Amino acid sequence: MNSPTFNAWKLVSLSPLPSWALVFLALGLLLGVALAAWGVRREPSRGRRVLLWALRVGAGVAALFFLLEPGIRHLQVARMKNRVAVLVDRSASMGFPSEPGGPTRAAEVATFLEKASPALAGLQDRFTVEMYGFDPELAPVTPASLAKEPPRAGTTDLLAALRAAAGAGQGARKLSGVLLFSDGADNTELKSGVVGRARAALADLGVPVSTFTVGQEALKDLSIEGLKVDDFAFVRNSLTVEAEIHGRGFRGREIPIVLSQEGKTVATKTVRLETNDDVKPVSFTFTPDQTGRFVYTVTVPTFPDEAVTENNSRSFTLKVIRDRVRVLLVVGRPSWDERYLRGLLKQDANVDLISFYILRTLSDDPGVANERELSLIPFPMEEIFDTKLDTFDVVIFQNFGHADPTLSIAEYERNLERYIHNGGAFVMIGGDSVLGEGRATMPTLMEALPVAAAGPANVEPFTARLTPEGLRHPVTAIGTGASSTEAAWGELPPIPGANLTYARPGATVLLEHPHLTANGKNAPLVAVWDYGRGRALVMATDASWYWAFAAHRDGSPSRAYDRFWGNALRWLVRDPDLTTLKVTADPPSVEPGRPVAVVVQARSSDYQPAQDAQVRVELFSVATQKPVAVQTGATGPDGVVRLEFAPPEPGPYKLLATAKKGETDLGKGEDAVAVRAVGPELSDASVRPELMEQIAKVTGGKAYKLPQDGLPDMPLLDPPVVEVGRAKDQPLWDRWYYLVALIGLLGAEWFARRRFGYV
Amino acid sequence: MSVRRLTRRNLLLGSAALAPLLAGRAHAFGEKNRFIPAVAKHGGRWDARLSGLRRIAWELQRRTSVEVVPDARPFALSSPDLFEYPFLYFGGDGAFPPLNEAEVSNLRRYLTYGGFMLADANDGSDGDGFDASFRREMARVLPQNPLAEVPSGHVVFKSFFLLDAAPGRLLNKPQMMAASLGKRAAVLYSQNDVAGAWSRNESGDYEFDVSPGGEPQRELAVRLGINVCMYALCLDYKDDAVHLQLILNKRR
Repeated sequence: MNSPTFNAWKLVSLSPLPSWALVFLALGLLLGVALAAWGVRREPSRGRRVLLWALRVGAGVAALFFLLEPGIRHLQVARMKNRVAVLVDRSASMGFPSEPGGPTRAAEVATFLEKASPALAGLQDRFTVEMYGFDPELAPVTPASLAKEPPRAGTTDLLAALRAAAGAGQGARKLSGVLLFSDGADNTELKSGVVGRARAALADLGVPVSTFTVGQEALKDLSIEGLKVDDFAFVRNSLTVEAEIHGRGFRGREIPIVLSQEGKTVATKTVRLETNDDVKPVSFTFTPDQTGRFVYTVTVPTFPDEAVTENNSRSFTLKVIRDRVRVLLVVGRPSWDERYLRGLLKQDANVDLISFYILRTLSDDPGVANERELSLIPFPMEEIFDTKLDTFDVVIFQNFGHADPTLSIAEYERNLERYIHNGGAFVMIGGDSVLGEGRATMPTLMEALPVAAAGPANVEPFTARLTPEGLRHPVTAIGTGASSTEAAWGELPPIPGANLTYARPGATVLLEHPHLTANGKNAPLVAVWDYGRGRALVMATDASWYWAFAAHRDGSPSRAYDRFWGNALRWLVRDPDLTTLKVTADPPSVEPGRPVAVVVQARSSDYQPAQDAQVRVELFSVATQKPVAVQTGATGPDGVVRLEFAPPEPGPYKLLATAKKGETDLGKGEDAVAVRAVGPELSDASVRPELMEQIAKVTGGKAYKLPQDGLPDMPLLDPPVVEVGRAKDQPLWDRWYYLVALIGLLGAEWFARRRFGYV
Repeated sequence: MSVRRLTRRNLLLGSAALAPLLAGRAHAFGEKNRFIPAVAKHGGRWDARLSGLRRIAWELQRRTSVEVVPDARPFALSSPDLFEYPFLYFGGDGAFPPLNEAEVSNLRRYLTYGGFMLADANDGSDGDGFDASFRREMARVLPQNPLAEVPSGHVVFKSFFLLDAAPGRLLNKPQMMAASLGKRAAVLYSQNDVAGAWSRNESGDYEFDVSPGGEPQRELAVRLGINVCMYALCLDYKDDAVHLQLILNKRR
């Protein structure tokens, strides 16, 4: 009956009547059956009643058969070939061994796919099998290419790969299933597991994902994970770095952890790993003592049988900035010099001023019977010069020098010297109690100062003279350029007297006495230097207040005093904006294999952008204490140049820059950059079979583990069937015996009714 | 109350008498860095309390660590030299004629850029005499910063001594007035002739009686003077957080 061209059939109604008419007639037939049953309801014989009712039903069905005109429709159909995607993880963690001493996880997948090739080919009659590697972009792969090319991707993003595979079939062939080969070490959306949106996204795929987990969980590895630290910190404020130590196969071991800043140990901790797969949090609290950008590294020891050694240290850069500059002002006695400096510091919103004045000495008699009549407080020497000293950004001694045992700081001089040496900033302001005057010589503290006493003070008024160094130095840059600065200093009033000092070797004299000399040179008025990691400034007079107040005597306002002390504070705390060469690593943390880039901004001594400046940047390895590479370039009109170094070995580096414009030295600057040993991908060698199982469960697939002997029977969506050719109808109702049956049924019912007395 | 006018001779003698008190103290280079009260010359009787100023400078030297020159240096209010003396005393006995424009602008600049002025009604006037003249001129010098009563919690009452009131030779007004520039009181004004309580003659006797409190009130007036000088020198130092609790305990 079937034509060879037809490969399917179905039962259809060939009636030309519309559907509503058929429904109407069918209802009529049902009514007829019902009336027949109603008419014989009083028939006492149950057999007769059933017979009459059955004959009516049979006649009704036969009539309906004729009304519907049933037929067979012969069809020519074909099945659509859907896709099956084989997705292979190409992230770097697939390069870990699948088992200790075994092939890589990627190689194991390649071997399996090679072995499963015939089975995959067997699917080809129903599906198009597509094989992709994802990193997470999809790219066609073959078992051979998988074995040949090592996996390199820096992240594992299973969900993105699944979305891409599903999306690839939009508008074309649809996806019937996915075979996902991975270690499950997702570090993006599925990092926290199949929860929340990720779970919904997997379910929305509408495709069964069968997962094949590769790799064993029993690898021995120690890694630093979950490093948490802010991008910046405030100098002299404590900071906490948190990390997680993940150990596999280290049960019962004590693991020492070291936090170091560019090779210098900052803090150490020890954790004990209790189980064979244990994660222990560890936190370090420390206080950065200098502003700038530094590379810090958290390190655990490397054991010989570890699967991955690169994840045993993690570096990060920390920018240490100042909050408000915390200034300690210690005043030998109230004076006009103190009054104007205090007024300036108190009105500066960037300064947190803590001050102590000696308002009464042993020789003063306030004339009170009870100390409660005075507002004086004890001088908390131990607190400010010992326990709290390191909390100050700048310490200013203003004519502070007492020989009285109750006020002498002899006991704390070494603390102050160490404070400066270790990165603090100190200002000594002169007067009749210090710098060769008075009885308190403070020899230890004086070691840290750029000048030394040279004799009795000179009380002749004089106009301070700017030195060539002062003309270029940010502390004395009170004008908008060199000439403006020189003019501004020249306009300031003479000041009444100065301490006689001489500059120590290495000191930079910024302002000097025009004719008073010491050791054959003009006596310094303002001198600075770097002492150890700190900075010190000396103002060899107690009359700088003349620049604040007497400068206004002629009517024109002067900001010289404010600018000078503002500059001095910024220089003392190493304000980055006061450098003529600003060096910025871009970015400060570099992933492995990425180039190191640096942006250098050069300014001339008048702080204008230095165009066409020749910039030289040295990439200096902190670990080896050797330069690694050098790049040079010229700045553009904005004084900025961007240079790039080829990817260096992992580790902490300094970017040391110098610049010249013509013969003029524009100074030097530096920044820090951390080249990470491993990205997030390699920091954890663990396999996550539970994630793979969850993916399979949520999507309706099945979870497997490699190795497998062959391709298992995986759930795949059946491809849809579509008519692709013509159809032919074959009526079933136009047979004579159907008509005889109908007439027979109707006749039998009539006969029975007549016989039973109903007609 | 006896009021004796000072002569130049008396001044010289008084200064000479104070000199030995300062012997042995550090010899600061540049005496201008020390505390030296400047005295404002105006068209009225401006020099009635010069000995009082020298006396308060001496008291400041004796009672505190401040180094002073026990002198009172008169300047015309239009003088640029005022800008070497950040403490200015503006006193007077009776009314005085209006200041000229140069004096007004120079005084305004002086106060604006950090100078401090203690004004003192030597005549104890209120609404007339010196008081009327001074208020009139202050309205010209600092028109945006009118005089207002100094609250009892102001730092001037704790800058060295703990005080509750501001008595002088008289006690007409328990508190002083202030013209403030920002948070800084640039002008403090007493109507109680505070310098009158400090004044001594060349023989060392107080020049004026103090009423109504007698010698205890004089001591309070001296302490107030020292506090005012300390305020001029240290500004709001005693308002720093480190002092607050201790001062509060002492006041209990």
